[in-house]
Amino acid sequence: MRLLHVATIGAAIGFGLFAGAAEAATDIDLFFPVPVQGKLANEMTRLVDVFNKDHPEIKVTAVYTGSYDDTNLKTHAAIQAGKPPAVVIMSANFVREYVINDEIQPLDPLIAKGGQTPGQFMDQFWPALRQNAMDQGHVYGVPFHNSTPLLYYSVDAFKAAGLDPDHPPATWAEWLDAAKKLTKRDGGNTTRWGLMIPGTYDYLGWITSGLAMSNGGQFYNPDYGGEVYYTQPTTIGAVRFLDELVHKAHVMPEGVTDANAVTTAFFQGRTGMMVLSTGSLSFVRDNMKTPYRTAFLPRNLVNAVPIGGASLIIPKGNSPARTEAAWTLVQWLTSPEIAGGWSRFTGYFAPRIAAYDLPAMKTFMSEHPDAKVALDQLAYARGWFATYNVIGVRKALEDGVQAVLSGKATPEAAMAEAQKQADALMRPYVEQTALKLPQ
Amino acid sequence: MRADARLLAALALAAGALLWAVPFAWMAVASLRPGGAGAADLASLLPSGPFDLANFREAWTSGHFPLWYCNTVLLCGGILAVQCVTISLAGYAFARLRFPGRNLVFTAFLLQLMLVPPILIVPNMRTLISLGLYDTLLGVMLPYFASAFGVFLMRQTFRTIPRDYEEAAVLDGATTLQIIFRVLLPLARPGLVAFAIVSVTAHWNEFLWPLMATSSPSNQVLTVGLASFTAGAEAGSEWGVIAAGTFLVAAPLLAGFVLFQRQFVSSFTFSGIK
Repeated sequence: MRLLHVATIGAAIGFGLFAGAAEAATDIDLFFPVPVQGKLANEMTRLVDVFNKDHPEIKVTAVYTGSYDDTNLKTHAAIQAGKPPAVVIMSANFVREYVINDEIQPLDPLIAKGGQTPGQFMDQFWPALRQNAMDQGHVYGVPFHNSTPLLYYSVDAFKAAGLDPDHPPATWAEWLDAAKKLTKRDGGNTTRWGLMIPGTYDYLGWITSGLAMSNGGQFYNPDYGGEVYYTQPTTIGAVRFLDELVHKAHVMPEGVTDANAVTTAFFQGRTGMMVLSTGSLSFVRDNMKTPYRTAFLPRNLVNAVPIGGASLIIPKGNSPARTEAAWTLVQWLTSPEIAGGWSRFTGYFAPRIAAYDLPAMKTFMSEHPDAKVALDQLAYARGWFATYNVIGVRKALEDGVQAVLSGKATPEAAMAEAQKQADALMRPYVEQTALKLPQ
Repeated sequence: MRADARLLAALALAAGALLWAVPFAWMAVASLRPGGAGAADLASLLPSGPFDLANFREAWTSGHFPLWYCNTVLLCGGILAVQCVTISLAGYAFARLRFPGRNLVFTAFLLQLMLVPPILIVPNMRTLISLGLYDTLLGVMLPYFASAFGVFLMRQTFRTIPRDYEEAAVLDGATTLQIIFRVLLPLARPGLVAFAIVSVTAHWNEFLWPLMATSSPSNQVLTVGLASFTAGAEAGSEWGVIAAGTFLVAAPLLAGFVLFQRQFVSSFTFSGIK
């Protein structure tokens, strides 16, 4: 009988201690992913504490929700289950899917209360952010922290290879050339690679889209969530270039390299260059022991990079009181002071233009030229890949590119397969929209 | 010849054990090595001094480990406690009782093993919210109170026990419940212990479901807590702190294994029939 006793007691403890959670009118929750290093979670908790102290009428709970993809999953699940979070820091390109699924409402009425039109509101943010924040003229997301892919390079490695650190590669031809010179071999062993890029989910799709854009492409239809251009020459060219770096020039390691392994290799001098988010700037700055610099992502035809990072969204289904409180939090988090402080802490650029007029930010920018490169590249930034079923559609591409990086498929075959999968994933939306014709 | 075969088997097992131990050895070494994200000997398995506990200090202060331990123990313990009751009773029913559609129901039970857990996230969350259990530890436990694997395991275990024991108990006037808990369960201990190991390890390590079903920081479990300060998608990681944090998460299970190793092993070979 002992077992039964233990079981009963265990169950009683379980039932008794943790049943029910109190809910007050202005209790709101903020779902946040940790896209960069973990210290951010503590900083986010600290910020929320400051907000709560300044706003006694609102009580925000910061809820850690994993990666961007996990956060999306949890938010979808919570909305469908009838318990939408008040505010979510959502990967900027996922917003369109929430619009398509009718899970968020335009922020226009809240913006109008402040006496602004949607256009005037968005004018406070860098123009490149509009694409992902708005849909059909309505504002759905408020940019919170944003990034672009950036080329990081080691000054010492450049000098040792006879390259000029003041003139980083600007074109793919110069890039390949620099990577060849930076690659150091010791017999059959490569002691330093020319270049490394993260090959894991989320990152790889983002960087590949950046290469396709620098190759003159659009990568996806920015005006319609049911089309991607994986088999167009601009994307094929980008994937062929990656294939060449790995399998012809042998300046990039074969296979899929994790983002953490890329930074670690860079810190240890095992790669001369890497492509990473501007959101990693603070982490690289804190951990790189030898001098490094940053440069624009090199171009084949045009300078272009996709926007990354996250926007704040308010899902549908929240009570008016919660929505009101959520809006107060959103405005506070995107105010120039807070956005600027968060930018300096993380490395992301602050989406709010006015953040850069503050004295603290001016001092910071003059002290850190690497952060300025990220800001300058914004002039060439474009909206980020956003479609129906966006994660699946992105993974279809990433599976293809990973197969190419591992030498298991040709770029053409891999992209044809990726396009086929992506089309199938977007089909339900396409059937309901572009292919739904009057009978 | 036989000695040779034995030696070969031992060598193969040793190689397997060595391979299995590498990540643990690296974790232990890296957690003690100071130097942050870019240490030159990062990949080295060989311990090289000086060592200090800075990584552990940082990991410990980055999170709320006491709370996370407490939640995780409650979670695993609560699930296991209820499971022991449900799988014993259900296992007995499938092993001994005759009722119409028994095989059909049992097959339906086993089919549940084929479902990929993530597709159940939304329906399970709906249920939790309608029961008012969203964001509670009990809510995290609830879907696991019944275990198809456990029922299967207990059914198989009960079937290996000769009916003579039960018949003797019936002659002595025991009720069905007494037979299950006094006679069969003690004999089925190996099955129960094997299941307990699987269950506790699985729920100790689980990440996605606790992340989905809870929101309040006070309900966080070890895996989610660890991820909240070590996982980063867009940047590098502090390997030393990750190793230290992972060590803290895995330590209780490792300690449990070392302490009860003999019971674990004997539980698999234990048999009620002499």
